[in-house]
Amino acid sequence: MQKAETMSQARQVLEQMIGRIGQSHFAIIPGVVYEDLGAKPDGERGGAGATGIDARVIQGRILVTQVEEGSPAAAQGVRPGWIISRVDGREMAPVIAKVAQTYLNSTQRELMLHHAVQARISGPVGGTRQLEFLDGTDKIVQKTISLAAPPGELTIFGLLPPTPVWIHARKLEGGIQYVAFNLFLDPARLMTAFGDAVASAGPSAGFIIDLRGNPGGLGIMANGIAGWFIDKPNQQLGVMQTRQGPLKFVVNPRLPANRGPLAMLVDGTSASTSEIFAGGLQALGRARIFGSRTAGAALPSLIDQLPNGDAFQHANANYVSESGRTLEGAGVTPDVEVIPTREALLAGRDPVLDAAVKWIGAQK
Amino acid sequence: MRKYLAALALLPWLGLAADPTLPKGEAILDQFIEATGGKAAYEKIHTEISTGSFDLTGKGIHGAVSSFKAAPNKIYVAVELAGIGKIEDGSNGEIAWNRSALQGPRIKDGDEKAAALREATFNEPLHWRKLYKSAETVAIENIDDKPCYKVILTPLEGKPETQFFDRQSHLLVKFAMTLSTPMGEVAVESRLTDYRKDGELLTPHRLEQSAMGQQFVITIDTVKWNDEIPKSRFDVPADVQALLPKK
Repeated sequence: MQKAETMSQARQVLEQMIGRIGQSHFAIIPGVVYEDLGAKPDGERGGAGATGIDARVIQGRILVTQVEEGSPAAAQGVRPGWIISRVDGREMAPVIAKVAQTYLNSTQRELMLHHAVQARISGPVGGTRQLEFLDGTDKIVQKTISLAAPPGELTIFGLLPPTPVWIHARKLEGGIQYVAFNLFLDPARLMTAFGDAVASAGPSAGFIIDLRGNPGGLGIMANGIAGWFIDKPNQQLGVMQTRQGPLKFVVNPRLPANRGPLAMLVDGTSASTSEIFAGGLQALGRARIFGSRTAGAALPSLIDQLPNGDAFQHANANYVSESGRTLEGAGVTPDVEVIPTREALLAGRDPVLDAAVKWIGAQK
Repeated sequence: MRKYLAALALLPWLGLAADPTLPKGEAILDQFIEATGGKAAYEKIHTEISTGSFDLTGKGIHGAVSSFKAAPNKIYVAVELAGIGKIEDGSNGEIAWNRSALQGPRIKDGDEKAAALREATFNEPLHWRKLYKSAETVAIENIDDKPCYKVILTPLEGKPETQFFDRQSHLLVKFAMTLSTPMGEVAVESRLTDYRKDGELLTPHRLEQSAMGQQFVITIDTVKWNDEIPKSRFDVPADVQALLPKK
């Protein structure tokens, strides 16, 4: 650290130090992201411009799993099931091989692979990325895709960088209510929207909460959302163990609660509060979990400002789910493991969602 | 100022016995009433509205606080935080409740309810004899290099609370308690400073509190006595009422 001549070099040393801890929720957030909190995340700093592609590394290939409606990628005709082979001319296979090797024995491997891919296909809003795909017929397709502002409403919370938050709700076949949201943040808006979805579904409707790609946020929001699905008092999702003592994640019922079958969709990119939420309701026997194991990155943390204007995120507690399992390094194991296949994605299906819909249909 | 601690309760019992060489606890509490304006001044007021700001120290979380109290035992406190939304606490004298966008509504019970009802008691300092079984002075301790009487108050229901009164000014400068909540018991320490005259009463305008390793500051900007407060201000919200046992 003494040899560092610039703040950037000092930051790199700090990042190496906290990296050696080998646990989630330790990070240095550069002060530059706070310089203009009122501004849109314009990408030069945060790289928030997005193509509209969500991708996962499955069996060593980068599969497009979702293309956001109305996004630049959708406009270019990109389809789920395509394989991303190059970004801006750079072959992606060695990139993901390196990340996969680094996190070979970590539950966070899928999360880190996702970060690595998304970081490379995002960038400054208004910029472009040159992507090479293998389409559904394995033909090489080149696309120049512009980077648009990410969906959602910009939210400022404490020392977190300004972050877009979105929630989508829609009805599926059989009256099943489907809700997805990208972060457990902005509770005043997100909880209201979630409550509206619960109310419109009715108390006995089947419900699906999609936590794939949701990296967490405010831990306490897990209890708050769980309240719409628990009608008895004194139920808890788990316990946060702090130096000062245990804090039980107790659920306050929001009556009338939904009593219908509840499915949650998760994968290796579901982290932190997503795991607290899914793991807790699974342990209570209230939800059935579909997908693949979550990231096992579930340490509650705080963010403090450093003297140079950077912020330091650091874990301040352990978290034990109601099942008695520590989530950090273990994650939530689904009740029904479903891994998306390229064939299913190319056919326009979402195998994880399909499995949940099928299960809910069988409960009636 | 205690009203902002709607969720706070007491310090774990320290096992200290009253020190007969020190002034009795009840004398210190009576001195506090005199130092802050006197019994007659307290008895002239029947409502209190105060507003201010909230800052979670070093975490970039800020907001506004407002509090409404009415005799004999009604209270409503709202803390509106940027990025979180509104957190409300209230009591109509019988039911004590809390609700927020974060966690939804709930009804307080047990020690937590007892502490909330004590806080809801209007002009609480005048009524401490009805709210506590005992007040024992156990020591003199320095707070900011000033000697203070340490008084342990044992409520009728719940665990003891510890209060520190400046030996010279007789003002309450610190208190410590354990917050009883469904999430668990949390030790809380609070410092009261910046006493100012509002009408005939002296009130603290700054509260610094620490709990679970975090600190926050509440700064009071305005205090109004005897302004009319609509009765509906203290109504139990519908989503809280939905939690009440069906009769």
